[in-house]
Amino acid sequence: MIRIRNLHKAFGGQQLFGGIDLDVASAEAVVCIGPSGSGKSTFLRCINGLEQFQRGEVEVDGTALHSVNRARPTGADREAIRQVRLKVGMVFQQFNLFPHMSVLDNITEAPVQVLGESREQAAERARSLLKRVNLEAKVNSYPDQLSGGEQQRVAIARALAMRPRVMLFDEPTSSLDPEMVGEVLSVIRDLVNDGMTTVIVTHEMGFAREIADRVVVFDRGEIVEIGPPETIFRSPRTERTRAFLSRVLKL
Amino acid sequence: MERFLRMSSLLLGLCVLLYWAAPSASKPGALEEMRKRGYLLWGSDAEGGAPYIFPDPKDPERLIGFEVELAAAIARELGVTAKQAQNAWDSLIPGLQRGDYDIAMNGIEITPQRKQEVLFSVPYYVYTEQLVVRKDEDRIQGVEDLRGLKAGTLSGTVAQDILMGLGGVDVKIYSGQVEPYEDLAIGRIDAVLLDLPIAAYYGKPNPKLRYAGRPVGEGFYGIAMRKGDADLQRAINEILAKLLISGELKRIYEKWDLWNEAQEKLYRNTGESSGYRGLEESRKAPVQTFFPLLLKGAGITLFISATSMLFAIALGLFLTLSRLYGRAPFSGLATAYIEIYRGTPLLIQLYILYYGLPNIGISLSPFAAAFLGLGMNYAAYEAELYRAGISAIPRGQMEAAFSLGMTRGTAVRRIILPQAFRIALPGVTNDFIALFKDSSLVSIIAMVELTKTYTILAASTLRFFELGLIVAVLYFIMSYPLSLLARRLEEHLKGKRR
Repeated sequence: MIRIRNLHKAFGGQQLFGGIDLDVASAEAVVCIGPSGSGKSTFLRCINGLEQFQRGEVEVDGTALHSVNRARPTGADREAIRQVRLKVGMVFQQFNLFPHMSVLDNITEAPVQVLGESREQAAERARSLLKRVNLEAKVNSYPDQLSGGEQQRVAIARALAMRPRVMLFDEPTSSLDPEMVGEVLSVIRDLVNDGMTTVIVTHEMGFAREIADRVVVFDRGEIVEIGPPETIFRSPRTERTRAFLSRVLKL
Repeated sequence: MERFLRMSSLLLGLCVLLYWAAPSASKPGALEEMRKRGYLLWGSDAEGGAPYIFPDPKDPERLIGFEVELAAAIARELGVTAKQAQNAWDSLIPGLQRGDYDIAMNGIEITPQRKQEVLFSVPYYVYTEQLVVRKDEDRIQGVEDLRGLKAGTLSGTVAQDILMGLGGVDVKIYSGQVEPYEDLAIGRIDAVLLDLPIAAYYGKPNPKLRYAGRPVGEGFYGIAMRKGDADLQRAINEILAKLLISGELKRIYEKWDLWNEAQEKLYRNTGESSGYRGLEESRKAPVQTFFPLLLKGAGITLFISATSMLFAIALGLFLTLSRLYGRAPFSGLATAYIEIYRGTPLLIQLYILYYGLPNIGISLSPFAAAFLGLGMNYAAYEAELYRAGISAIPRGQMEAAFSLGMTRGTAVRRIILPQAFRIALPGVTNDFIALFKDSSLVSIIAMVELTKTYTILAASTLRFFELGLIVAVLYFIMSYPLSLLARRLEEHLKGKRR
């Protein structure tokens, strides 16, 4: 479903990635872990073109995203990126709900504006998605009336409304109060169990271990280890993985 | 003899008629155009314009003065009616040249410099310059005593040239004829040198002031016309000759107490002057008399402000979007536009639009110039407000919109701008109130809005204080509801989120 080859990215003259390869199969759940600043979030953002990269290739469900080296992307470049984004849903650490729109409008805005769905059709689907994330009562609320956990669940519903083939989660629980982490993770768990292809960047090790088909360990812009969770967490093969895990699991 | 004169004037008139009746040349003359139109448009400044042209104290919507009567007589002889076009006195010649009116007649002295720019009729009045000082003044006997002292006069007048030519005089230039005498009376300046008719109407009646010495200088008022309007000049010269011969001109001047063989002795006399009574009356007129004119001015102010604000909002939005999201040349151009318009005075921009563009062949109506001038200036401020609003939106909003597959255009339109507008709204409201008050600047480009109406009325009645308060109240009762409305709008938008 996702095919990444030889991804190079430099930022401000400094090399961030020096050639990353990764394949994600359909219905697979891949969890990226690693120290802060190891590049896992940037890597995730490269998959839907929010970050530009200098060399390499990203392909999602047969749609390729090429490196853009122009200072200002042309209309054709932008359209190519947009085609990939139409297949990829993204959930952000900061939720990024549209504060001037109700929950319903947050969810229906893109289907109506981008896919050309009718308002009624989009609203009906929005309601069923809200039910799926247990928020059908909040349909007419505004984002600042919701808790962080509720906002993040709306954000997930908003991304799902575009019927993506792949879902990306960029530290979805990092800005939540601890008591709200569970409700968000349970929504993600349901998605994974339903067979959605997902790439998750997270610091929730327990969740990574439970949900992941494969765990990818990042360190200093490199993938240092890829493997099933049992292997990674019980018997990591590299010293860098071991060092990272011993730091986080001690906490 | 009298008979002969009358006969010859009739003949003259006949000649003029024949001249009109003759088949026109291929290029239509100013005369022919005017006759087709049916009125003679004459440029003059009614602000502080007694006894030349000023609002009738008893009926401020009517203009009176010896030049009003002269214009009516000339128009009658031309077979049309006279229509006054208001313009600031020192802009009368530029206004004539840009084609705002057919003739300029408002105590314009015939000078060699002006003769290079316009055609003049034969003189219709001989003027002299009269020095006026305070009653208790004992230093000044004549203009020669002015060295080292402060003397006031009108800008662009022969009196100004005389004062400047003396050397060593601190010359204060005014744009209205009332203010120098007011300043003289309260001691801000030591003397005023101006044309005798002005001195007779505005200086002499003031109990604190007196004439000093005999009138100096002598010159002629002439009617100014555009170069190239020789047919009009010929016709007007013939009419002036006829009015002189028939005695009508004399009757007009006598009525306004301006006729005199030498035209200087009359005003040196300390006897009664009719101008004084006119001013007395206008000082006593009930204040309601001025309401219709002031309300009309207020309406024009409101209309100009509202339309130019809408234009500023639209153009400002276009500028911001070009600056933030436009391709290379457009974004730079938008930035340059904003910096230039914010960095130069609105007054200069208005002058260039109205008086400057005609030099390169673009002539705007006063309203168009006011609308464009205010709108284009405020657009620069609006653009900066929107830009601040847009920059305040977290980057994640754009990223979220992008990740949902929105194009940049959709994202800006649906996600960024609605939020940016809420942030910018208080600033936009402030700007509207500021624009509303800045609209008073357009009075310099011949728009008679509220401020111009005020200065015209106040200068002719000297009721600066009373009328000023009324005008201030008018401005306030128009702008205050705007603030209230804006505040409610802000709360409404906030409420939508809460």
